[in-house]
Amino acid sequence: MNASLTLAKRGHVFWQRLKQQKILILMSVPFLIHIVIFKYIPIWGWLMAFQNYWPGKPILQQTWVGLENFRLLFDDVVFYEVLRNTLAMSVIKLVMGTVSSIALALMLNEVRKIRFKKAAQTISYLPHFISWVVAANLVRDALSTDGGVVNRALMSLRIIKEPIMFLGIPTLFWWVIGFSHVWKEVGWGAIIYLAAIAGIDPALYEAAKIDGAGRLKQIWYITIPSIRPTISILLIMNMGYLMSSGFEQQYLLQNGRVIDYARVFTIYELDYGIKMMRYSFATAVGIFRSVVSLILVFSTNQLAKRWGQERLV
Amino acid sequence: MKRRALWFLPLLLVFVLASGTIFAQNLKEFDVFTGEPLPDYPGSTIVGDIIRAETGVKLNREALVGDLETKVGLMIASGDYPDMVVAAHFTSLLKDAGALIPLNDLIEEHAPNLKRLYANHWEMLQQEDGNVYWLPIQALPYGPDTSRYPSLAFFMNKRVLKDAGWPEVKTLDQYFQLIEDYMAKYPTINGESTIGYLTLFDDWRSFATTNVPQHLMGYPNEGEFVPVMEKGRYVVKEYHTSRTAKAYYQKLNEMYNKGVVDKETFIMNYDQYIEKLSSGRVLGTFNQFWQMQEGQNYLLRDDPESMFVPLPIVIDTLVEERQRDIPYVQPTQGMDITVACDDPVGAIKYLDYLIQEDTQRLLQWGIEGEHYEVDENGLYYRTPEQLALFRDPDWVQNVFGRQYFFNAFPSLRGLDENGNMFFPDTQPHLIYSDSTDSEKEVMDAYGVQSFSALFNEPIFKKYFPLWTITMPAGSPAHIEETRMKDVLNRYVPELVMSKPEQFEGIWANYVKDIRPLMVEQMKLYQEEIDWRMENW
Repeated sequence: MNASLTLAKRGHVFWQRLKQQKILILMSVPFLIHIVIFKYIPIWGWLMAFQNYWPGKPILQQTWVGLENFRLLFDDVVFYEVLRNTLAMSVIKLVMGTVSSIALALMLNEVRKIRFKKAAQTISYLPHFISWVVAANLVRDALSTDGGVVNRALMSLRIIKEPIMFLGIPTLFWWVIGFSHVWKEVGWGAIIYLAAIAGIDPALYEAAKIDGAGRLKQIWYITIPSIRPTISILLIMNMGYLMSSGFEQQYLLQNGRVIDYARVFTIYELDYGIKMMRYSFATAVGIFRSVVSLILVFSTNQLAKRWGQERLV
Repeated sequence: MKRRALWFLPLLLVFVLASGTIFAQNLKEFDVFTGEPLPDYPGSTIVGDIIRAETGVKLNREALVGDLETKVGLMIASGDYPDMVVAAHFTSLLKDAGALIPLNDLIEEHAPNLKRLYANHWEMLQQEDGNVYWLPIQALPYGPDTSRYPSLAFFMNKRVLKDAGWPEVKTLDQYFQLIEDYMAKYPTINGESTIGYLTLFDDWRSFATTNVPQHLMGYPNEGEFVPVMEKGRYVVKEYHTSRTAKAYYQKLNEMYNKGVVDKETFIMNYDQYIEKLSSGRVLGTFNQFWQMQEGQNYLLRDDPESMFVPLPIVIDTLVEERQRDIPYVQPTQGMDITVACDDPVGAIKYLDYLIQEDTQRLLQWGIEGEHYEVDENGLYYRTPEQLALFRDPDWVQNVFGRQYFFNAFPSLRGLDENGNMFFPDTQPHLIYSDSTDSEKEVMDAYGVQSFSALFNEPIFKKYFPLWTITMPAGSPAHIEETRMKDVLNRYVPELVMSKPEQFEGIWANYVKDIRPLMVEQMKLYQEEIDWRMENW
């Protein structure tokens, strides 16, 4: 068969499949439109990063400054601090969040008492539904040196003698963020893994039992390998969020003492961008973040491909 | 079942539409954003109902939630404005963004009261283009007043002063000595551990800690820099690296290491601060009065013996204390009308109604015979029952409704046209007699008729104060200011919380880091001060 014929045939197959799946395609159209409107059209605003934008004038009549805003950004010492903090907190949150969610899901899965399981699950994902504004105050109170529950517990367990000012020690701030993230999100994160576990074929466990595998061995050889695709997909997707390690959490838990370790990109954009009406500068920071995120997602995807794991594209 | 319930829906719709249009015909509506946190309007208040009946205007209010600077930045970025905005220190940003309409012609044609009552301040309000874009939230048409409390001070728990036999406290060393001694004597108050000293450092409120050196040098609140008279000219100087600043932070450091300064003071937020103050176990704090007033009000109501007494503290006895200020108008901020307003004439007429003396009297004093009385000399006063009503902050806000037309709206202060004061709290013959018993005891002990009298008389300065100068958004000086505040935020807690032997090293680094971040700001402030001295 010659090449043109193959192409023609392939084209034919494509249209046939399109026809077959037209309902599915129609169903996804609204979401596509949503993405175009809210994710692609705003990219037009990236032009601002190359201008000295001032509100009240149309975007094409602003003064153009070339790469000036990026030069300002890369010349700023604060920027490198911010980059470090963002990446550090993101990695801590990603690792601690993923590990704790998987662990909780595995443990819940092994619980036989349905009532206890339900209660434990509900309690663990409740904090997900309170906003950080409230949650930050809970965390502040819990970590207070003036009768905070964490210090009291540690003191009555004789682990420490003097209360520790958790929110006042700069190097501890990343870990406060990490642990408070786990407290708030662990139950919610576990749900998706629980769902993945529920989809595992029970025959696999029966076979393992017959081969003499105990509970731990079943977890290790059946459960974890079965949810590995879920884990790697979620990891790849979360890579895209590495450059944005949240906003409210850091913003509400920070104080002057720990500012060097607490300022992340979103806070930086606010303090040095929007609050000063330097919209162009804030946009430049945003572009930098997006580009780096894109690179991160694609390179992890590439890695996953090489290791033969499930991947996104 | 389900189907039967549905007939109700269209009917409901008709009702809603009908009532909506009826109201719309009766009342003019304006959207107002006020840059202060305030609960939603209760729907009906004593003054609110009168104002609504007389003007036929209903306000749709949006109060501040979170940070004002962010809110204003986002408002400008989106271009979505209410009809009227009060954006405090960020008002000029709105003007720079072209969001405000000039008010001069509107006032000239439609607002005789505004024109008359703001006449004293008119020149200050004119911008470079000769237009006026906003009305300061207070005007002083007939002359200034003095308050029961000074606008800022080192405050001390009354228990400490009483226990020490009402001593004269003048210097920072004496102040902390008294606190230390009292703490040693009474390690707990009301069953909880005593807190020696509290300093507020929450976000933008941190000036309550970092502004202090200028006050220890005897100045009122100028802001981040102080203009000093040198050879007939005000020269802008910095104080963040001064000897006084060093002595102040070193004192705090010493006190922190002795356990007098609260361990948590740098990481608590404003709510926690007020909560601690109201507990009655805090012996001392520095602040501007408005920022600790809520705590003081709770103490006066629930634990009057622990009320705070303002003291004129300076760094040493050679310094001349002039911490009080003469009431002034803030010419760089106020109420404005935006380009989004469809009916600017209606809006200015509403503001004109609010500013007239009778409305102001209604807001501050209430209704004659019901909320205040007039004596044979024409002076206003309140009976003990009326006074009790106005001492209850909840009643004043939710039933009387003053807050909803006062803090953010153009209002009058000082003397009124017939010799009374617009603010009942500053009515001279009532400052002492309307004080609480606990306050009177302190005033008697020190032989004064008001707490302000513990301080020296303020000095008049034409430009005053420096902090009302606003920086052009995004300018080098503005960026420098943000960076400088970053340095303060980082170093001040470290200076206070480090070991005493580390202090010198940290101080040297702090000075090295902050010095280069004040150059552009001082240049800008100097230009503006010179301009004010020439043009005001």
